[in-house]
Amino acid sequence: MNNDVMIQVTNLKKEFRKTIKEPGLKGSFKALFKPEYETVKAVDDISFDVKRGEIIGFIGPNGAGKSTVIKMLTGILTPTSGECRIDGKIPTENRKDYVKEIGVVFGQRTQLWWDLALRETYMVLKEIYEIPEEDYNERMAFLNEVLELDDFITSPVRTLSLGQRMRADIAASLLHNPKVLFLDEPTIGLDVVVKDNIRKAIQKISEESGTTVILTTHDLEDIELLCKRIVMIDKGKKVFDGELSELRRRYGQMRELGFELKNSQDFSKLSYKEDFSFSDDDLSVEQSGSNIKVRFNSDVVTVENMLSYTLSRVHVKDINVKDADIEEIIRRLYLGGGEQDETTASHL
Amino acid sequence: MLKYLRLHKIFIKQYLKKLMEYKVDFLLGAIGFLLEQAVQIFCLGIIFSTIPALCYAKDGVVLDSWSFNEVLFIYGFSLIPKGIDHLFFDNLWSLGYWLVDRGDFDKYLTRPINPWFYVLCEKFCVDAMGEIIVGVALIIYSTLSMPADVSGAINWWRVLPVIAVMPFAIMIFTSVKTGTAAIAFWTKRSGHITHMCYMTNDFAKYPAKIYNGFIKTAITYILPFALTAYYPAIFILRGEAVWSLPVTVGVSVLLFIISQFIWKKGVSAYESAGS
Repeated sequence: MNNDVMIQVTNLKKEFRKTIKEPGLKGSFKALFKPEYETVKAVDDISFDVKRGEIIGFIGPNGAGKSTVIKMLTGILTPTSGECRIDGKIPTENRKDYVKEIGVVFGQRTQLWWDLALRETYMVLKEIYEIPEEDYNERMAFLNEVLELDDFITSPVRTLSLGQRMRADIAASLLHNPKVLFLDEPTIGLDVVVKDNIRKAIQKISEESGTTVILTTHDLEDIELLCKRIVMIDKGKKVFDGELSELRRRYGQMRELGFELKNSQDFSKLSYKEDFSFSDDDLSVEQSGSNIKVRFNSDVVTVENMLSYTLSRVHVKDINVKDADIEEIIRRLYLGGGEQDETTASHL
Repeated sequence: MLKYLRLHKIFIKQYLKKLMEYKVDFLLGAIGFLLEQAVQIFCLGIIFSTIPALCYAKDGVVLDSWSFNEVLFIYGFSLIPKGIDHLFFDNLWSLGYWLVDRGDFDKYLTRPINPWFYVLCEKFCVDAMGEIIVGVALIIYSTLSMPADVSGAINWWRVLPVIAVMPFAIMIFTSVKTGTAAIAFWTKRSGHITHMCYMTNDFAKYPAKIYNGFIKTAITYILPFALTAYYPAIFILRGEAVWSLPVTVGVSVLLFIISQFIWKKGVSAYESAGS
């Protein structure tokens, strides 16, 4: 095995057996006495490797199977078939040794002792992971510096704000200096400033401790700022695995043309859709007052043509062209995936 | 093993600290428990105030009988293994009620300690001290209230083997809870099953002989709570049921193995919850 590979996932599958229930109380009764089952493939033959020290973004719409993969990787769920190895170890063979190598943060669920001062949680974890006193102090000092725990380390966990709690949770998962850190939606529900602090902390931890990080998120800014590589899954299957820039190249020829009209009445003179025969997917135009934003596919019409068309028809105060952000790319990719429910799109 | 003992101590310490945070809750719990026990003993008192003794008869022939004090002794004794299990291993209840259903069991699987042990010792149920204290008090009170010739005939050396077997008696409670709680790994919730099985220990607070064959067999071998209460108590009182001591060890070990088997199967069937 290549020594650089930290996580190795091969042909991972997970099937759940679900009872089919008809709606209503009657349906529930029927399911109770004459249950019918269907097998749901939550994760369908996924393979990928993660290198030592890499931060990868693990993304996909809701219900794509992200959490299921993460839960198999963290030893919580037993795979139906296939396997995952972390540093050569398999969770189902020796769970205890395996989980020593990993740290887990579930954004929606805290693992801190709710009723006790935060410091107490760390003391218990120190015992659980059998961390020597010296290492513990050193580690604590480092985490303190990166995550600024000092302000609230003596407060009971239940009194912490969400941002503090998340920092505390991340610190708790890193106390034993794991080789791999799983972050499941670490920025969910946080405000912009706190999000930013947490991202910086994650980056710093990865740099200084060489921790491999697997990050799932719906916040694409997390991905853009932290991950070079992303693995995207949908309906239990891997749909993309590669560099972020590669994703941009493959799916993201979208550009955004933004300008401010001198006279907002001029807007009617612009009809990109008809004049260039764009399809709906390749073009979207937004107007707010005299500010116009045009998103278009530069494979269909070049930036140059769009610019000269615009400038020849209207007078502008200001004009700029931007690369599409990752959010736009992923929205297109999700939608391209077929019958996505609307909640997915609105989530982005 | 040593690590686990140390961890257990730490968990208990943490739990006590937590308790200090919620003093009122603890006090109310303790008062509630004392009231519950008082009512039950009061009921026993009422029954025995109208009848002289509890009898087991067949075809009108009295084969065995127990005085009020003896029944009280058995009752008190039954609270001790139950209370000790309650004190240390109460958290198993949460498994069937919400840990599995809500996916909170995840946490126990991401730590490098045995998840069963982790669930067991996360909670330290101080309320159970009430159970143990009431149990000991009843034993003392009932012994002192017995006629001198009855209590004088008790060979107190018999307490020693009972104490030696006590851990196995406690394990009977823990294993029944473990096995039934683990059903939740498949059904998501199993609290009521655990409750149902656990409550059969109420039968065991009274002489097992008074029940018909089915219940007697059930509480001796299937949900063998009689081995934790009636048999050891009557052994101390009268030297009867010596056989029950080795049987307790055997049944307890068997039950432990079965419950661990169900637990292990359960953990690998655990489905977590969506997040």
